[in-house]
Amino acid sequence: MAATEATLDAQKSAPPAAPAGRSPVAAWSLWLARRLGLAALTLWLVSVLVFLATAALGDPVRAILGKEAETSQGRANQIREQLHLDDSLWDRYWHWLGGLLTGDPGTSVANGLPVSELISDRVLNSAVLVAAAAVIIIPVSFGVALLSARLRGRKGDTAIQVVLLTLAGLPEFIVGIVLVAVFSTVVFHALPAVTISAGGEAPWTQPASMILPVLTLVIAVAPYVIRIMRSTLLEVLDSDYVELARLKGVPEKVVLRRHALRNAIVPGIQVIALQLAWLAGGIVIVEYLFSYPGMGASLVDSVRNSDIPMVQVLAMIIAAVYVIVNLVADVLSILFTPRERTAISS
Amino acid sequence: MAAAGAVGVSAVSACGAVPPKPDPAAPQRRGGVLSHGATGGGLKDSLDPHFPVTNPDIARVNNLYEPLLFWDDDYKVAPALATSVRPNKDATQWTIELRDDVVFHHGKSLTAQDVMFTLGRLIDPDAGASAGSQLSVILDLDNSKILDDHTIRLQLTMPYAVLDELLAEYNAGIIPTDFDPRKPVGTGAFKANTFTPGQLSSFLRFEDYWGDPAWVDELIIYDFADDSAKVNALLAGQIQTVDNLPTYLVDSIGAQGSSALVADTGAWIPFTMRVDHGAFADARVREALRLVVDRQQMIDQALNGYGFVGNDLYAPFDPAFAGDLPQRTQDLDKVRSLLKQAGKSDLQVELVTSAGVGSGAVESANLFVDQARQAGIDVRLNKADPNTFYGEQYLQWPFAQDFWYTRNYIPQAAACALPTSPYNETHLNDPEYAATYAKAIGEVEESKRNDLLHRCQEIEYERGGYIVWGFKQQVDGYSNLVQGMTPSKYLPCGGYKFRKVSFVEGA
Repeated sequence: MAATEATLDAQKSAPPAAPAGRSPVAAWSLWLARRLGLAALTLWLVSVLVFLATAALGDPVRAILGKEAETSQGRANQIREQLHLDDSLWDRYWHWLGGLLTGDPGTSVANGLPVSELISDRVLNSAVLVAAAAVIIIPVSFGVALLSARLRGRKGDTAIQVVLLTLAGLPEFIVGIVLVAVFSTVVFHALPAVTISAGGEAPWTQPASMILPVLTLVIAVAPYVIRIMRSTLLEVLDSDYVELARLKGVPEKVVLRRHALRNAIVPGIQVIALQLAWLAGGIVIVEYLFSYPGMGASLVDSVRNSDIPMVQVLAMIIAAVYVIVNLVADVLSILFTPRERTAISS
Repeated sequence: MAAAGAVGVSAVSACGAVPPKPDPAAPQRRGGVLSHGATGGGLKDSLDPHFPVTNPDIARVNNLYEPLLFWDDDYKVAPALATSVRPNKDATQWTIELRDDVVFHHGKSLTAQDVMFTLGRLIDPDAGASAGSQLSVILDLDNSKILDDHTIRLQLTMPYAVLDELLAEYNAGIIPTDFDPRKPVGTGAFKANTFTPGQLSSFLRFEDYWGDPAWVDELIIYDFADDSAKVNALLAGQIQTVDNLPTYLVDSIGAQGSSALVADTGAWIPFTMRVDHGAFADARVREALRLVVDRQQMIDQALNGYGFVGNDLYAPFDPAFAGDLPQRTQDLDKVRSLLKQAGKSDLQVELVTSAGVGSGAVESANLFVDQARQAGIDVRLNKADPNTFYGEQYLQWPFAQDFWYTRNYIPQAAACALPTSPYNETHLNDPEYAATYAKAIGEVEESKRNDLLHRCQEIEYERGGYIVWGFKQQVDGYSNLVQGMTPSKYLPCGGYKFRKVSFVEGA
């Protein structure tokens, strides 16, 4: 469902045939510039919303200090100064936006260190976790979907569907708990249960400790992608031109690979993009469960501490991931759709 | 780090044969990296000796720094950096004698100047260290004197007979005069190595430690936001000790090569009745509500059995504790007759509770409602969110709850039972009580002081506003691959004294 909407979006946003005489490169650049402009506009709107929402939470000094707000005046003044609370909302916003654009997103209220220093490692750690999961999700999804479509109606297909439906119905923390019990604590003691490293190095320096978090994400996301891919494949396999190819005597393998898969790839890209964008904010639970040093845990901690500069930056990063992933998916979708491709460059 | 890997591997290969509980008498072994899983923590994490906020902070502070005296495992004051801390006859001057063999992590020897510097930092009103809140009232630092390199005479602004108890708090650790928060040094058995707020901190054994040095080479303290991640890491052999083990897991971890460490504590979650408000102003009503409570049921259900019964008095480990007063038990007939005498047979009250009070609070409030209903009392439960509960109404609620940790009687009463106390939830303002208390804090002779404190407790027992139904037990966990963890009444995880912990032979 979501995938088809996204495809429609991609189609709508592709401009109608460009005026004749313009070179394909110029047409592409124009299209890309327009999309980038829209992305920037979206992010700007998000920044306004994020800023207003965090500003509307009430007096941050009281939220941060709680019971001590009355007694420790020095600390209260320090926070007021740090957050520029005596300036107008408008000034604060421009000051903040300027800092964000110049790579200086402020200072954490909780411990006084620059936000960029506090989150850069964690954002990278989360990105690596999502990327590692994506590298597995994409081929596995395509492979299982092809197999399932090929076996349509037979016992193998039914079995795959039952397993996928079961897995899709399980929340990721259940999947994670079961995996830990099986591989780390109760049945086997083969893999680390949590992602902790003695020297505080990046988690991928100990690949074994990343296996379970990555596997959890794969199990949380892949069934959904596979199901959408399978139904798209079946739709294509039922179409007239595939029927024609078969009647012409093209072998079934080639039909699947050359005709069906190519046409199913665009919805596949869209659904994977949506899932990856969701993961940017959705890995919080998985990071918690495995004590993974990513940005999800930071976000929860910062919200709890009322650490407004941290919350603002993390919210912006998640929004940016959504916008960028969708942009990339749209570009890929167009490249994989001959009709769209020619519409832009003709 | 190599050692951590080795420990991890051996824990993994031990699969199948679950290690038995270690023999406490077995000889301890040097070496290895001890990993501790601390509950909570985040960007507020700090290495500052005087402002520990989170659980990992408290674990760190206890291994990096040391106060002049220690609370031992039985909650008695024991010598540490000071060999003796003694008052004069009227407890207005205290003489501190320091050990002469103590060295800070950066090589400087401990002297009287360092102690004076530390005390100055503790009582600095701008900083607001929690260990200094009481000290700043009684300490007259300007008139205190350094007698020689290892002797100090502290001048007090008023008689105070238990200064030693204040100097034994873990958040009053002694630091050198050239202390730099970015390169923190103390006198503890471990010195700081790395620190990543919200994630982990690591420490190396301090070879020049004045006492028995640590068995392990390195100590790593990990932050855990999630209880199940913490316990999974323990069971998988990635860490060896955890604080605050969920009590429902005590039995199951026993079958998987780990053990629970259960310690009595003086932590309590009282119901607080305002003695100056409405129906609660009548001592008979207060006594009735105290007799409503089935204390053992509260322990069994609100604390999962990990606690012991209280008698509306706090400070159970204080030598002055009035353990001879008759134990109150549920007596519904007496409740009805007391309420009838008070003319409140159809008593209706509102009890304010909140998850912010901590584990066991909302559960015990629910139980109270049930138990009161048996006596015909209508208790309406108001579950406030933590910000509301500890907001402007805090200390004004007529009938609510609060939480307190282990303290002895004099500091606890200073915090909660006098008109000047910062957290007097019950609004107790009793002239006889205040006068007896004032006499007690200036009484140097212990037996006389304890008699006076006994009188204070009788007053609270008769007409105070607390319902102290029980005290919590602390439950922590450790892997059977380590030994040397002993229960402490003072702090979790055996007082966080990780220098005493070692890996067992063959681990």
